[in-house]
Amino acid sequence: MAPRTNGIGVQVEDTKICVVMVGLPARGKSFIAQKAQRYLQWLSIDAQTFNVGNYRRTEAPHPSADFFDLSNAEGEKRRRAAAEAAMHDMLDWFRNGGVIGILDATNSTKERRKWVLDTCTKEGIEVLFVESKCDDEAMIMANIRDVKLTSPDYQGQDPEQAAQDFKNRIQNYEKVYKSLDEDGDENDYTYLKIMDVGSQVIINRIRDYLQSRVVYYLMNLHIRPRSVWLSRHGESLYNLDGRIGGDADLSPRGHQYAQKLPQLVRDSVGEDRPLTVWTSTLKRTISTARFLPENYNQLQWKALDELDAGVCDGMTYQEIKDVYPEDFVQRDEDKYNYRYRGGESYRDVVIRLEPIIMELERSEDIIIVTHQAILRCIYAYFMKKDQSKSPWMNVPLHTLIKLTPRAYGTDEERFSADIPAVSTWRGKGSTAKHENPTPGANI
Amino acid sequence: MSDRTPAPESPQPSPAHQTAPCLASSGTPADEVSRANARRYGTGNSHSYWHRQVHLGDVCTGDNKADEESSTAEIAANAPRYRRKSSTFIDGIHDVTADSDMAPAQLYSTMSGRLFHSGRIAIVMVGLPARGKTHICVSMARYLQWLGVKTRIFHLGDYRRATVGEGEDVPEDYFFPNASPASVMLRQKILKKCREDIYAWLNHDNGQVAIYDAVNPTASGRMSLAKEFAKHDVQTLFLESYVDDENLLRENARNVKINSPDFEGMDPDEAAKLYLRRIEMKIPIFETMTENELNYIKMINAGQKFFYNNVSFNYLSHRIVFYLTNTHIKSRTTFFVRAGVATEEESFKADAPLSEEGHNYARIMCETILNHREQERESLKEQGGPDVPLRPLSVWTSTRMRTLQTAEPFTERGYKVRQRSQMAQINPGVCEKLSERAIRRLYPDEVEKHELDPYHHRWPRAESYHDLAVRLEPIILELEREQNDLLIIAHESVLRVLYAYLMHCSTAAIPALKFPRNEIIEIIPAAYQNEAKRILIPGLDPRIVPSSPEGIRIPVAGESPALFPGGGLSSPPEGLENLTISPGISTPSLATSPPPVRIVSTSKEAVEDKLLDQD
Repeated sequence: MAPRTNGIGVQVEDTKICVVMVGLPARGKSFIAQKAQRYLQWLSIDAQTFNVGNYRRTEAPHPSADFFDLSNAEGEKRRRAAAEAAMHDMLDWFRNGGVIGILDATNSTKERRKWVLDTCTKEGIEVLFVESKCDDEAMIMANIRDVKLTSPDYQGQDPEQAAQDFKNRIQNYEKVYKSLDEDGDENDYTYLKIMDVGSQVIINRIRDYLQSRVVYYLMNLHIRPRSVWLSRHGESLYNLDGRIGGDADLSPRGHQYAQKLPQLVRDSVGEDRPLTVWTSTLKRTISTARFLPENYNQLQWKALDELDAGVCDGMTYQEIKDVYPEDFVQRDEDKYNYRYRGGESYRDVVIRLEPIIMELERSEDIIIVTHQAILRCIYAYFMKKDQSKSPWMNVPLHTLIKLTPRAYGTDEERFSADIPAVSTWRGKGSTAKHENPTPGANI
Repeated sequence: MSDRTPAPESPQPSPAHQTAPCLASSGTPADEVSRANARRYGTGNSHSYWHRQVHLGDVCTGDNKADEESSTAEIAANAPRYRRKSSTFIDGIHDVTADSDMAPAQLYSTMSGRLFHSGRIAIVMVGLPARGKTHICVSMARYLQWLGVKTRIFHLGDYRRATVGEGEDVPEDYFFPNASPASVMLRQKILKKCREDIYAWLNHDNGQVAIYDAVNPTASGRMSLAKEFAKHDVQTLFLESYVDDENLLRENARNVKINSPDFEGMDPDEAAKLYLRRIEMKIPIFETMTENELNYIKMINAGQKFFYNNVSFNYLSHRIVFYLTNTHIKSRTTFFVRAGVATEEESFKADAPLSEEGHNYARIMCETILNHREQERESLKEQGGPDVPLRPLSVWTSTRMRTLQTAEPFTERGYKVRQRSQMAQINPGVCEKLSERAIRRLYPDEVEKHELDPYHHRWPRAESYHDLAVRLEPIILELEREQNDLLIIAHESVLRVLYAYLMHCSTAAIPALKFPRNEIIEIIPAAYQNEAKRILIPGLDPRIVPSSPEGIRIPVAGESPALFPGGGLSSPPEGLENLTISPGISTPSLATSPPPVRIVSTSKEAVEDKLLDQD
């Protein structure tokens, strides 16, 4: 288990981690796994989930509970084969440069966990077990109804019967289930055990910063219902000129949007609960948020400021192309990674937004008034957009976006203020001051 | 902050006393030293300029009336551990302060002055002596204060000493369950005094987190403590340090009793055993935490395992756990160095490569640091220490060209260099390339605001130091986590902020901290207080030594004379002044580099009385 050393120092970049989910069915393992994957991918940490259930399903599409009975030799054999197939694919993926692989399965026996640990260790991969343990019957049933019955296993079956079958399936697992380190002989493992949705937590032998980050992120997750509202600032004077960056004031139409925003927000909230407002430190977002109700707490974050265009700040795209023709081309080739001279790249922005995402995960209702590039990054986090596409997304002005995180994805609603504004979207290679987005650019 | 502990005989300190500066203090013996040093190292104009800057920076420290009146001040004055800080080279984590200027990375402030709307919290330590409680308290306080949570440690030991008198011991049966009435009375008197101070601080001084450092050995005692705090509208989070690893226990014991005459001449292992046996005899009953109805974090074997029982806590306790999972008690050092000079020193946006001079600097700096590490190891061996191999060295840079190129000599030698975009220098915004005169002419209002609060003020389009500190927070956690020796190559603005975290400087002092290019700063962590040391880099062109001209040009009010050919913002070549400097571990064998200068630290004296610190 000793981390590999190269004599000069262990590098975080060198660490590969296999996050191994542990727990009975309907304990939110897949929820945790997909959240973690989304967060890590967004941070450009190559992460992938390997769901053993999906491998098993190709062999046995609609198994009955008996299949999961340990005394059913045939079932056991098939499930073992599914685990081996998932592991095989995961190791291949690690060999091709993967950083954090998530093995989503019950891994409910000590033997299975030891097998996973030994297999990974042989490949120089660290193992972090993450167990979700829950004994709250009501919560488990709620989870079964919400999620499991829409599972492909039960397609086209009677819901009552399906729920009963699923409970039987859980019981079969319970017969052999051993909680992590329950007997004290798994004390050498690195693990996080979350009991009853966070009322008790055990963290054991965290070995590096990346592991601690994953653990901290998972501890900040909550399942209370809430929404996040996103808006760009109102149209600015720089928008009218087609200039980027700067700290310009709002245009007259931008001020109109600011005035209409409170109503737009109230309509979308539906009830009268106060939100917390986050803006950047630039004039145009503060101005846009200034008419929101007084009982809304307002916070300014430097981290929400627009992507810093460095030497190109305040220029139009035509000017950039004239003065820095090579940069203009390079940026369009890899917009996510291109860093403006003396400024930032989208990748840099994501790094500075990380604390914001952490805050967002643990907070409840928040409205964020910020800038195009920042909004693209935050949106990409919630909607799981690819890095190669997110910098090209069209985020229209004068539109309020409401995101509501659900167990397996995020719902989105849009509210247009019906106040005309210029388009600030720009297609690859274009230097137009204002152009209409192509259909593919609409998020 | 210095001089924050008014002596009992001067109940009404002079105004100078109240606004005591960080780097220089007025009217105290320490000041005499600093003046002497100033005479020794100062160079006319430049010196008085910097001296003035420091004073100005400190005018905005908070008031300390409450401290003067409260009994804490009295106790603090009696307690040996509340040292006066006479320079930023001494870790200020134990200084009694008004706290308001001590939050480098505070995200926002609220009307109450408390963050996260979490209310008032008592973090109650649980654990026998030699379990690293002090180390945990100090690190935690450092981090929470950094985040802007008003935090203060209340060591029950200080109250015991103040009550029974210096050098006196508590009665033999002090911790016994069947103690004599006199002992029980004494115990309660001490506890009451400490708790009263905690309430006073939380209720009247807008304190948010009081860390209560005591043994708290019994479950029943902890239950009544939680109830007692609840009555005063204070939430309680217990933090137990539990150790069952024999090696770790012996190691801790050896560190704790290091200065005690009782154990002189004894075999270290024997002494540690004796010490632990004494603890057992003194505190016969200790129940580890299993109380399900309490909020608690149990830290097992110095962070190997955490058990976390969360009844009503959220953000803050998560944050603490995250922090604690990243701390360790292994000893390792951090080096700070500046990046070399670039071809376009004046431009931030250009992100220019190093000049020839800059490359030269990078080479010499690399050699100096590697030699220094070798010599430290040799001298340790000469002093009879074990012949251990060098700890690996990690190098961190920002993504700015000049820091990357400064790290090249390390890359060539096979050291792996990590780039951290969060470590980019402070963004000067509109001030880029402007002279001070131009800034004054163009932005007179901003200059006024800047002079009032150079730490939080943000020039148009620029970053403030505060912005920088917030941006650097993830780096700080990784810094705590790092087990290798670490070399940070960064712009002076970044060094200021990171240094301030490790050495707990006030926000007022941060913008004025100076890191001349010819000095490597080495920070050695210790349980009670960190230590800073500087190593001179020989043979540099004096023109490249001064502080960064590429930062924001006017950090302070007043006409600043052009001090160096480069002009602009620069520091005197001798670096940080007003230090108490004593000859340190000199290694005469060096031909290439002068002996490192060791800065006196109070940390050893401060832990001396830890042996008796058992409550």
